[in-house]
Amino acid sequence: MNNNFLTPQNDRPLIQVTRLSKHYSNGHGVIAVLRGVNLEVRPGEMLAVMGPSGSGKSTLLFILGLLLPASSGNYQFKGQDMLDLSRAAQAEFRRRQVGFVFQNCDLFENSTVYENLEFPLVYAQVERQDRPARIAAALDRVDLGHRIHHPANHLSGGERQRVAIARALVNQPLVILADEPTGHLDRAHGHMVMNHFEQIVAAGDTALIVVTHDPQVAARCSRVFSLEDGILNEN
Amino acid sequence: MRIGDLLRVSIRQLVRHRRRYWGVILAIAIGTAGFITIITMGRDLKKNFNRDLELLGKATLVKVYFEKRPSFEHQWFHSSSLDALRHLPGVSEASLVAQHPWVPASWQGQDYHFAMLGVDESFWKVNGLPSQKGKKFTLQDMKDRKRVVILGTELARTIFGRVNVVGEQLAIQQELYTVTAVLNGAGLGDYAHFAFMPLTTAEDRIQGTSPANRIYLRCRTWEDVDKVAPLIPGTIQDVQPVQGLKVEVLWDQLQRVKAIAWWVELFIYSSIGATLILGGLGIWTVMMAAVRSRTREIGLKKAMGAEDRAIMAQFLAEAVCLSVAASLLGSALGFVSVEITSALIHSHPGQGLFLMCALLGLMVAVGLGVAAGIYPSLQASRMEVVTAIRYE
Repeated sequence: MNNNFLTPQNDRPLIQVTRLSKHYSNGHGVIAVLRGVNLEVRPGEMLAVMGPSGSGKSTLLFILGLLLPASSGNYQFKGQDMLDLSRAAQAEFRRRQVGFVFQNCDLFENSTVYENLEFPLVYAQVERQDRPARIAAALDRVDLGHRIHHPANHLSGGERQRVAIARALVNQPLVILADEPTGHLDRAHGHMVMNHFEQIVAAGDTALIVVTHDPQVAARCSRVFSLEDGILNEN
Repeated sequence: MRIGDLLRVSIRQLVRHRRRYWGVILAIAIGTAGFITIITMGRDLKKNFNRDLELLGKATLVKVYFEKRPSFEHQWFHSSSLDALRHLPGVSEASLVAQHPWVPASWQGQDYHFAMLGVDESFWKVNGLPSQKGKKFTLQDMKDRKRVVILGTELARTIFGRVNVVGEQLAIQQELYTVTAVLNGAGLGDYAHFAFMPLTTAEDRIQGTSPANRIYLRCRTWEDVDKVAPLIPGTIQDVQPVQGLKVEVLWDQLQRVKAIAWWVELFIYSSIGATLILGGLGIWTVMMAAVRSRTREIGLKKAMGAEDRAIMAQFLAEAVCLSVAASLLGSALGFVSVEITSALIHSHPGQGLFLMCALLGLMVAVGLGVAAGIYPSLQASRMEVVTAIRYE
């Protein structure tokens, strides 16, 4: 955890969260998942959020990606208030600013690697002739350029997760939100995935927030947070 | 999402999951093929149906004559009236007839009397009369005023004691006539006791023959009878002044034929409708199943920035592509079906009608795809992202 690229490159926060709360009603009462969470993330930072199962790590990630609404609090992205956006504006935010990587290496089956990476470009209305170059560039960043026309369901677990990373990168987002990205991988493949994340963050202004159980993954991040009983603390 | 991308992704999805959609495509294709065949071949089938029904009755036959009053009895129809009637829309043929109610004849010294009709060359076709043996009158026979006669079966049997009498000579009003044919068949009726000779011959040679005071009209289909019958008096009046004109249609038979045809058409269209409804339900079911089985995919697409309307458009486009593919297959099957039916009933329906039906089938299919796909598409578009991503 001594690499220079882990040093924040920009003092203006990319993400600024204050007193963020999330609670659910289940008929018997209210369950508080997040309680007054405060968080600042700057471009080029690599954050890990750790905590036991059910502690709300993924919920925090989904709120940051505008996949879930917060119950209260403030969330600003590049100074813009994010919690009052319309559904269309939320989708626009996810298209332009965010890349998601999930635990299950979720690729579209019955599609090739190229087609998997093309979907974010289709939704972002990138011209068709510009897509091959951007897809090839994203795949090169995870060393999978040679797999571009491979069927997704013929890839190994590690390769699938690297394709998922490339897909998250293809629209050049400012933040990557990764939910247990190495959870289903063996140690060697997990190590490789983290290497790619480090290179991506080092290459530009992209920030990375990783939710993980794995201390070794957390150890490779510049800042590590723990989430317990809905309260986020920096270690 | 651009239209080009939408179509490309939808078609790719259909092709890659074709086994899932095959049954639905086949159901809609059969419905479309049936629709195209019925509409394209409808008129020709009706014509054939109509012709076959003539064995049971004379539903499309219209008889035109003068009232039997002394002041009207000496009128006759001009050939120009016949020509005018032949040109009415819905008329397939018309025939002019004169009659003698009791003509004397003899064979081998024995005297006979029978009813005789002087008929033109169209009479047989108009009345759908077959001949058992021999040949019917031609236009040339009419022009030459030939002394030829055709006998009904029972009349032949009465005179000759047998029906195989073609070539025999029969003396009618002291002149010899050659029997050229003997009529037989299920639709013969009273004509089995009649003799027939060329109209010109009857008018010139047979004393006591009435003027040509009857016209028989054959309509193309039973639906034409309603339209043709009211036009007849005016058409004749335009050509020649007449009084006491009567137009006789067998309305009871016509109504029965129409009722039969209505039930047959109702049955056929109901079958096609049921097939298309089943196809629509099939689309609805497979699209609902597709939405369920692709829940995670929907969640992922929303996570990467797909808007609700893009998800809805994609599933709707898949439903429409599915029904359009079925419709195209249906058009191909319909084409084959029309060709086979045409060969069977010896008809030649126009290509324009087929293309119009195929186009109509395509429009119906698009409507069906939209109607059946709209609810599953809405379900997909309204799905919450996190619920979808976590769906197992």
